[in-house]
Amino acid sequence: MIDSNEKLLLVGDNPFHNISHLSQERARARIEDPTDPKYAASLIEMAVENGANGFTFSVSESTLSILKELGERGIIERLHLYPVVPYAFEYVRLATQLGGLPALARKFGLEMVKSKNLSGIGLGLKGALTANPSSLIKTYLGYEISRIKSSVNKRVCIDSVLLHQLITDMALALDLDWLFDLYVNFILSKKMIPGFNTGNFAFLVDKFVEWNIDLRKVIIAAPFNKVGFQMTPSVEECEKALSALPEPVVIAISILAAGYILPEEAAKYIERLPNIRGIAVGISKEKHARETFSLFKNALGGSNISSTEY
Amino acid sequence: MDTEALRIAVVGLGKMGLLHACILNTMPNVQLTAACEKSLFTRKLFKKILPSVPIVEEVHGFSGLDLDAVYITTPISSHFSVAKTVYEDRLARNLFIEKPLTSNYNESKELCDLVANYGGVNMVGYLRRFMVTFMKARELLVQGVIGEPTSFAINAFSSDFYGIREHAKVAASRGGVLKDLGSYTLDLALWFFGNVQVNSAKIESLNGGCSEDAVQYNVKQESDSLRGTVSVSWCIEGYRMPEVVLSIKGSNGAIEVNDDKVSLNLNNGDKSTWYRHNLNDNIEFWLGGPEYYREDAYFVKSITNNSLAEPSFETASKVDLLIEMIQQKAEKHD
Repeated sequence: MIDSNEKLLLVGDNPFHNISHLSQERARARIEDPTDPKYAASLIEMAVENGANGFTFSVSESTLSILKELGERGIIERLHLYPVVPYAFEYVRLATQLGGLPALARKFGLEMVKSKNLSGIGLGLKGALTANPSSLIKTYLGYEISRIKSSVNKRVCIDSVLLHQLITDMALALDLDWLFDLYVNFILSKKMIPGFNTGNFAFLVDKFVEWNIDLRKVIIAAPFNKVGFQMTPSVEECEKALSALPEPVVIAISILAAGYILPEEAAKYIERLPNIRGIAVGISKEKHARETFSLFKNALGGSNISSTEY
Repeated sequence: MDTEALRIAVVGLGKMGLLHACILNTMPNVQLTAACEKSLFTRKLFKKILPSVPIVEEVHGFSGLDLDAVYITTPISSHFSVAKTVYEDRLARNLFIEKPLTSNYNESKELCDLVANYGGVNMVGYLRRFMVTFMKARELLVQGVIGEPTSFAINAFSSDFYGIREHAKVAASRGGVLKDLGSYTLDLALWFFGNVQVNSAKIESLNGGCSEDAVQYNVKQESDSLRGTVSVSWCIEGYRMPEVVLSIKGSNGAIEVNDDKVSLNLNNGDKSTWYRHNLNDNIEFWLGGPEYYREDAYFVKSITNNSLAEPSFETASKVDLLIEMIQQKAEKHD
């Protein structure tokens, strides 16, 4: 488990899925191919040499290939892993192609059977037959964690599993306090930190306080940048909620506002924020890998950051 | 719950139904009152997830719930029958339907007649009208910044069915690319330029079966002062998310807009670009993208103020008429 004082400098995986939130056109025009696992692993390796100490990624076949590549290069043991589940984009795409939620559930059931995880299959079957959301969620989480573990060796440090923004925010919107409780307890039982990726940071903090969810036991990944990009409902409300946290549990994401602001400006903004545990930033070029993390290492206080050796 | 809150139900708990249900539930003046879902598994699941919200199998099940509004987010082929039931059984006065309005112009026209009888606020979910980039581009056009528009082009592409032959039936069940992604291009043409006529069209089936996978069509204004070329496909590689790009040429310059940015190039050499970041894209709750919240908030506000919501059924029925004109003009290419 991670030292609670250690700052996190995470390589984000958006460019490895060819995502640019500034411009889809720009993502398509990239000359290098960051979706190639070997190239992605090289970028991460370079980032680690320049201050990065972790990797946050949606769990997909392509990111699992990157993990395997990092393992072969002997880099992975130096990384804190922060996987995000589910890879919502892929599931939405599949639901579109297959014809909705029931068809998706059938496909997922087949995947479970193929995995030969007997306890998971039992729990999943119970969940499917009784339409029991708790069983289905536990089955799904167990399946995803086993997928990650099968792609890395036992010495690798999976600090946390983060719930994808879409699911976190839907559950927030529907007031599903039981789901957050279930998630926190399940992930803690696996000796990991429950994480939540959200686009509604201030709303989430308010709800967690209302539901008595211990904010010291979780990690929250949320947008923080000087132009307020994706900071809902406003920069002021997000900063106020950040100040009210009992401990630094926030991983700032979208810190470059999807490439709209320069890393130097972003670092200055992050430097003045309280309760920031770390940052995550995507890289698609070698130049970014070399320069970005050393900059944020200084902004977050270099003494508390180390590339972990196990 | 506030007794003044609007009581809203959602029909169809697929991707769009869930999204609207979630957003509506965050609004202080809305109560998510009920949902309707055909799939037994989904219904059983959501009865456990939302125990205080009745989840019914048929829309008749909304009877007696005293609803203010209903969202219809079912497959396109059922929009008309569900909407007709809502009106005729007086289940709610106000109706939001995901785009397009119905499967054909006759049904859309009949719905417009029902609205004339039953009243209430009605709206169709053409989301790009609520994207800050498209809102800015239209503002520039209306202000006459590029002078008189002379031509436009729209490209609407996604990779949803790129190289996926075995799912041709699913693609067809979504109504084909013209009704799906293509309806956005028609709504944009109508929103930006007013009424247009279809000159020529071509529809292609790329994945086999009877699905419409790619469409090209040309339109013009009745006066022939403006012409437009449109290309739509859900089988293009590299479009992780659907993307719609509208380019307009005018007597004084050009505008290009997509989901991410607006560019203005004037003939005098002046250039400007606005990203979402510059266009006050903040909302109260983020889910899927700011435009979803903005769309729902606008519909709710229209009900509260009893004011016209756009695009109304009347406006959206013009899209359905144009879809039929394109299909009639098109030569099939398999």
